[in-house]
Amino acid sequence: MSDKKRFLDKDFTRRQFLKLSGKSLVGVTMSSAMLSTLGVTAAALAEDKVKVWAFPQGLLVVNADRCVGCQRCEINCTLTNDGCCSSYISRVKVTRNLYSSRNGKGLYTENNWTYFPDTCRQCEDPACGNACPMGAIYADQSGIRRVDTEKCVGCGACTAACPWHMPTVNPVTRKSSKCVMCGACVEGCPSGALSIIPWDKVSAAAQAV
Amino acid sequence: MSVKNGINGWAGSILRVNLTTGTITTEDTLPKYKPYIGGMGLGYKVIWDEVPLDSDPLGPQAKAVFAVGPLTASGVPCSGRMNISFLSCWSKGYSIVDAHMGGHFAHAFKYAGYDAMIVEGQSDKPVYIKIDDDKVTIEDASHVWGKGTFETNAVLSKENGDTFDVTSIGQAGENLVPMSCMVTSFGNSGGGGVGAVLGSKKLKAIVCRGTGAVKIARPMEVRLLSNYMIKDLVGGNNNHTVPTIPQSWSEYSATASNRWQGGPGVTWDKAPNGPIDMGEQPSGQINVAALRCNKGVFDFGAIAEKYTVKQGGCSSCPVRCYTEYEMDPLADYDLPTHVSNTCMPIIKMLEWYPDHVDPATGEKVKSTHDFVDEKDAKMILGGAGSRAADDYGVWCNYGNLYEDFNMAYSTGVLKDVITKGGTDMTEWDSIPWELMETGDPRWLVEVYRRIAMKEGTFSDLGLGTYKLYEKWGMDDAGKNVAGKNFYDFVNGKNFNIGHNGYPRHHGPESCWQSGTIYSLMYNRDCMIHHLINFVSSGAPYDAIIKPVLEGFFGEGCVDKPKAYTPINENKIKLTKWAFNGKQWHDSATLCNWMYPMTIATSKKRNYVGDLDLDAKYMSAVVGEDYTRESLEFDSERISQLLRVMTAVSFKLNLGSDNLRRDHDQPSDWVFDKDPDFKPFEEGTVKLDREDFAKALDMWYDAMGWDKETGIPTRETLEKFDLGDCADKLAELGLIK
Repeated sequence: MSDKKRFLDKDFTRRQFLKLSGKSLVGVTMSSAMLSTLGVTAAALAEDKVKVWAFPQGLLVVNADRCVGCQRCEINCTLTNDGCCSSYISRVKVTRNLYSSRNGKGLYTENNWTYFPDTCRQCEDPACGNACPMGAIYADQSGIRRVDTEKCVGCGACTAACPWHMPTVNPVTRKSSKCVMCGACVEGCPSGALSIIPWDKVSAAAQAV
Repeated sequence: MSVKNGINGWAGSILRVNLTTGTITTEDTLPKYKPYIGGMGLGYKVIWDEVPLDSDPLGPQAKAVFAVGPLTASGVPCSGRMNISFLSCWSKGYSIVDAHMGGHFAHAFKYAGYDAMIVEGQSDKPVYIKIDDDKVTIEDASHVWGKGTFETNAVLSKENGDTFDVTSIGQAGENLVPMSCMVTSFGNSGGGGVGAVLGSKKLKAIVCRGTGAVKIARPMEVRLLSNYMIKDLVGGNNNHTVPTIPQSWSEYSATASNRWQGGPGVTWDKAPNGPIDMGEQPSGQINVAALRCNKGVFDFGAIAEKYTVKQGGCSSCPVRCYTEYEMDPLADYDLPTHVSNTCMPIIKMLEWYPDHVDPATGEKVKSTHDFVDEKDAKMILGGAGSRAADDYGVWCNYGNLYEDFNMAYSTGVLKDVITKGGTDMTEWDSIPWELMETGDPRWLVEVYRRIAMKEGTFSDLGLGTYKLYEKWGMDDAGKNVAGKNFYDFVNGKNFNIGHNGYPRHHGPESCWQSGTIYSLMYNRDCMIHHLINFVSSGAPYDAIIKPVLEGFFGEGCVDKPKAYTPINENKIKLTKWAFNGKQWHDSATLCNWMYPMTIATSKKRNYVGDLDLDAKYMSAVVGEDYTRESLEFDSERISQLLRVMTAVSFKLNLGSDNLRRDHDQPSDWVFDKDPDFKPFEEGTVKLDREDFAKALDMWYDAMGWDKETGIPTRETLEKFDLGDCADKLAELGLIK
């Protein structure tokens, strides 16, 4: 069976999505059942408007068209992980895409209505971890990359090395932090721009292929 | 970076920027301002302490206080608003007013570590203030002076970097036009004439980046309370709790079309990757909350779906009330197609297109036409007009700007004044009336340009109702060609609530005596949504609204639409809750369009809201015990301060020693409309003069104000530790 055919096969669902995590889905063929389960269109896939990330709880789908810019993802992230409310140190990032972001999108650009949340890709070969001079970024037993705050010296090498600059050094604690896949951002997203599709639902959709 | 200071809720610091000297300092927020909460309360205390109330609102003594509160950026939903306090340059008495600005700026400001910024003095050249956490500088703004807000915000955002938010004034503010605002995000604005106040200081803009955080005493409790609110309590915009379109989970659909328009088959047609269907949005689900409002459909009907890309709004708010459009038909007129706004600045642009007289037939002819689809003119012109008004930074005085034009045009006053009684046609003939008469959207750009650039007599409209009526003789039936007092006459477009220059904001037409009283309590439109929210919630009156409200405030506290009853104590109780509650929201800061949570979406709650929620949030954020009563007490302190400042301004600027007579009297139309009905008959919303006089007596009693003058007594003020206010009133002979 070719790789393309095996994609979304029940047994391979999670493994395949892990491989695709954070990468372009352009060229991937999905059944209508899978598209419906993920809440996306074939056109959105073809135009690279949808990203998926494999979380322990399921598949995280980011749909930019649904993002309404409320920043509740950042709020719930920091309330949960930092005990405060902040945008800058949030592990999921939408504010930096709201104004006049680096890619010419945002409220103060010609592409006013294009803004969306970004989050850690949980890379297989993590630039952040590779760049850390203290070896402070490690994978836990679930494969989630975390920052060991005992080791972190807040040098910012991880931020600089990450192609999306996702890890952020907290200016107060001088410690880096990054997404630990807790799911608070998804739970609190009021527009469904962020959603987690549980693995059993993804598998069920794959079975319907 | 606020977490450094160890204070929960508040950032702990106030920034003071003097534009005359260029001095920038900081001071502690607490303890001086804690009794005033933040936002509006903090702003009023600063103005009371520091600005003589007979100062020229556009002079060097005037100050503008930008303030947020302990709940701003705390994670609490709908906490994205900033309050700006200053002296009015346009309404009767020139007393204290506020601008209230949404968007994302308040969060950036709080994260930068500030509860407030006091802007004082005047620069001699155009400047903007750059706040980069604790690095605050005054920067040259000459390159954006003279530019509209959209270009200014784009230029300053790009220059300073992608993590800075911006707010700016347009040409109207620069030219000291009283009807002016400041604009941030896309169409989010603060009005009240703040544009002219900043323009007088040559302050074009503020840019802000905050990399800090707000410290929260019990963060998980805030998250759980927020989830509870979004799941069980909140509905669409204005907390309309029952969907208009029937949904399978919902026991009811709205009794009248409301601001919960999302439902199966309602779409964002212009979403880049194809239409997104709103589907059902059951109570109890967080991830659909933002799909409920769909404000464009409420404003313009189903035609709005065709041009909707998505819905925007403010930081932290799950209810998106700013529809973001791509209105292609505007491209045919070389106008920007991206538009976004909500309510008054976008829904009433047809008022700029009154019927005109066809010179050939002498008949009145409609001035607007369909663009692409039937009845799409209101929306297309709304889009064009809201964008033009925001770009020039013109404020509409809650619609009075359009209504003043419409009434002056239709009654012949406009032509009489501009042509000096028909003797000088120069300006009249320079106005491209054909744009108006043909329903051309460029007419809107032209009217806002004239107003913002102070071009000709036409631009007197930008003075605001009070000064306009005085200048054009519209405040006296004997002084204008129409023979009408425009404050008083019965006309479907006269919404002046009194003779002070501003309209009702949900007053007698929907909220009986209560809305009328609080519409008269400020020095601009009241902006109180406490009552209109449940009135228009879509919930059935007898089954939900009446029992829920009577459960909170007692029998007879509410009236059925168009079936009003005489004043009673429980209506006064309700009015006081709304009046003080609005001060609380603008001080906290929470959005008064959404709070309080009076009616709920949840059937398992019997649709009963949670009026204690605000206090629960405060307790969780600050870590101290707050109750609804304790918050209402602190909020009433701000109400009393508002009243004292109004009394002092009226004395110093008008020589008045009686607010009841000179500030609080409704316009005649409130009592004289619907001549075929008697007050309190079913079918009318007219009020009764004698009953309203009694209502004011009861209101002053409830507020601790003298019944004859409507001015707070010393005893009342001392209860709120406002002894210095009583001393000032005594010094001026306003109290004994």
